[in-house]
Amino acid sequence: MPDSGYPWPIQTSRLDNGLRVVVSEDRTAPAVAVNLWYDVGSRHEPAGQTGFAHLFEHLMFEGSVNVAKTEHMKLIQGSGGSLNATTNPDRTNYFETVPAEHLELALWLEADRMGGLVPALTQETLDNQRDVVKNERRQRYENVPYGDAWLRLLPLLYPPGHPYHHATIGSMADLNAADLATFQAFHQTYYAPNNAVLTVVGDATASDVFALADKYFGALPARDDIPPAPGGRNVPATGQTAVESVSADVPAPRVYIAHRSYPFGSPGYNVITVLATVLGSGRGSRLYQRLADGERIAQPDLVGAYGVDLAHAPAPLIATATARPGVSAERLAEGLADVVDELATVPVTAAELDRAKALLSTGWWRQLSTVDGRADLLGRYATQFGDPARIADQLPALLAVTAEQIAEAAADVLATDRVTLTYLPEETS
Amino acid sequence: MTLIADRPGPGAARPYRFPPVVRRAVAGGQVVAAHLPGQNLAVALLLLDVGAGQEPVGKEGLSGVLAKALEEGTAQRDAAAYALAVEGLGTALSTGLDWDSFQASVVIPVDRLSAAVELLAEAVRTPRLDPADVRRVRDDEATALRMDWANPGPRADAALRAELFGAQNRWGRPMHGDPESVAGLDVEDVTVFHSEWFLRPGTLIVAGDLDRIDLDALAAAAFAGTGGGPAERGGPIEVPLHSGRRIILVDRPGSVQSTLRLGHPSPHRAHPDHVPMTLAGTVLGGAFTSRLNHLLREVHGYTYGIRGDFAASRRFGRFAVSSGVQTAVTAPALVEAVGEITRTQANGVTEDELEVARSWRAGQLSVELQSPRAIASALTTLVVHDLPDDYHARLRESLLSADVEQVSAAAATHLHPEALTLVIEGDAAAIRADLESTALGTLLP
Repeated sequence: MPDSGYPWPIQTSRLDNGLRVVVSEDRTAPAVAVNLWYDVGSRHEPAGQTGFAHLFEHLMFEGSVNVAKTEHMKLIQGSGGSLNATTNPDRTNYFETVPAEHLELALWLEADRMGGLVPALTQETLDNQRDVVKNERRQRYENVPYGDAWLRLLPLLYPPGHPYHHATIGSMADLNAADLATFQAFHQTYYAPNNAVLTVVGDATASDVFALADKYFGALPARDDIPPAPGGRNVPATGQTAVESVSADVPAPRVYIAHRSYPFGSPGYNVITVLATVLGSGRGSRLYQRLADGERIAQPDLVGAYGVDLAHAPAPLIATATARPGVSAERLAEGLADVVDELATVPVTAAELDRAKALLSTGWWRQLSTVDGRADLLGRYATQFGDPARIADQLPALLAVTAEQIAEAAADVLATDRVTLTYLPEETS
Repeated sequence: MTLIADRPGPGAARPYRFPPVVRRAVAGGQVVAAHLPGQNLAVALLLLDVGAGQEPVGKEGLSGVLAKALEEGTAQRDAAAYALAVEGLGTALSTGLDWDSFQASVVIPVDRLSAAVELLAEAVRTPRLDPADVRRVRDDEATALRMDWANPGPRADAALRAELFGAQNRWGRPMHGDPESVAGLDVEDVTVFHSEWFLRPGTLIVAGDLDRIDLDALAAAAFAGTGGGPAERGGPIEVPLHSGRRIILVDRPGSVQSTLRLGHPSPHRAHPDHVPMTLAGTVLGGAFTSRLNHLLREVHGYTYGIRGDFAASRRFGRFAVSSGVQTAVTAPALVEAVGEITRTQANGVTEDELEVARSWRAGQLSVELQSPRAIASALTTLVVHDLPDDYHARLRESLLSADVEQVSAAAATHLHPEALTLVIEGDAAAIRADLESTALGTLLP
């Protein structure tokens, strides 16, 4: 096993307009990943504009000055590439993986929508994509059992006004009220080269990429007054527990226990990552062994624990279990809370720690086994921590976490401000 | 102007080279491996010649229960010790089933591959299958399917499959069974199925740095204690088309979307039209830029997405379209979808569209050369469908050389808009009258 968590070269450059360019060459496959992280997400949205960052992401595929509506998709797919984009509270990213000979096309397309979206943005396009996003909300959150759990957890975890208080998908009312001028301003405000990181990984040399980046992005103007998102890195403990119970059309009781932990990228969050793996990843985890296998009160496929990798405020730590038939929500909630609480009182054994680290290690290498996986992580480290080379420290940092640190973090994080969300099957007539 | 108006053309195309394939007969079984020099991760996948197609009618879901039961203890250790042994290596046993095959695999840093394969073989070949554990796993699987079937989709899929292929046939029932079929299984079903199918050697597929892997040792572990030959596969099944469109309404009261599943039978995997059919399916519904997604999402905003494709196993295939549309536009969305299928069948494809489809399919073969997982999956295709080592390179050539005439002919021959079954899972009270007024087909009771 390599000592470093990133045994590939990393080269960086910064254009005069502030665009940071990260290149990691790998000639294994004739493919190249292009990934743009824009440092804007739903945390930047003011009240009344929830869902705008994500709806805007959709608009970025609908044409720009030199690219007709839907042509972006057609050109990438017509080159043999795959593409997508995602928005979360922290950031918005756009990515494509193409056969290496189409690298220049991908950069041209990304530059055109970074620098030339606004003139192509029409009311018709906005209305169309608003309908698409509303259908996305129905499909992913409203029409599936437990689909709105994340939407319910966030406001319980973060106070009103906090940038993580609302979910990225936004509210139907805000989406309905979205007007064209707001989106034009949104692009002009945040989609500037000095607010983005361009990462290219795969079958390309750094010098070629730097030259192409300069050719296509170099003349785009920087913007020097990009407003920061509202602050929220410190969320004072309230000493309160929050309990929400939902009667819904669900097939079995389910419980979520959630806490604010530490921001992604901090030493504390690395501890939380290992802690969550001990608690809830795999058949050897505490939740599986205790609730699915031991007491047999939880469905084996549906126990789990995970941190949500958010960097600008204490990130959520979530544990969940779903009841076996005949098991009440109360009994399940009690069992889940017991296992979570024991993280602070029952020391993690060497075997538990080794298991967690082995799983995290394989997971790390799996994520890095593709050029797009590598590009996304490099973009993250460059955007959120100012240095893509920090990626190499991540795996060693996880592997250095100790049982004592887990007990300390558990005592700190789990002691207060617990959020418990319970779903109950509604009575059917 | 700060933007460059001229779209750049492609650079020099990199050669497509599928990794060297090694085939070897060892210890009574077959090894098929791909050499990925320098790759730190490796995949080992045991492919057994038994799929959902071998499950008896009425016993659907048997393989899924057996797959879970494999990890409930082995001849050597109990379930908790087995979990700790596997996860202590940093991996997990991953199982999968399709109509033609069953697979169990591990993804792991290459230096731990042999230990992982030994554990994989231990579970597949020597599971304890204690009756009490098997009954518990069965009950858990039935519960898991009930959870899954509470989501939109599975009930619609099952209704479409039954209508296309006939519920009296195994292939007319859900691949993974349904909550009732699984609940009805008994311990003996599971143990008999294991001894009949899981003790034949099968094929060990390996993708990784072969300079650091002892294939013979892996094979010896994977095939130890096995015997018996491959299964009788049976030939392609002739599935008749319906005459006239049928509509099936699956009620989901209060649903804010209607889940659409449209389909008809289509040829099996070895049919000579496989490539032009794939491309016709791509133009119609296989990519974001395809006709159906353009019309229903980008023009009308009816949906977050709609997809359609031809899929085929060794013995049969089906054309299917799936989507979720806002309840209020269910009927117009169906009219548009059926209209687009009808136009594609009647008028074929254009060179402009085909160029995107063939480049995309061919280019994806290059993009998919990266990870050991993707290479192992490509090797699995070779084994399941008896294809040669250079299959992917040849596929690439045939995709790139397919012309408008061939692909339009495939669309004309293999699309049957008049024989579609339209399944709608949604709020029946809100959409029934609209569906009846579309005249798209006969609404089945």
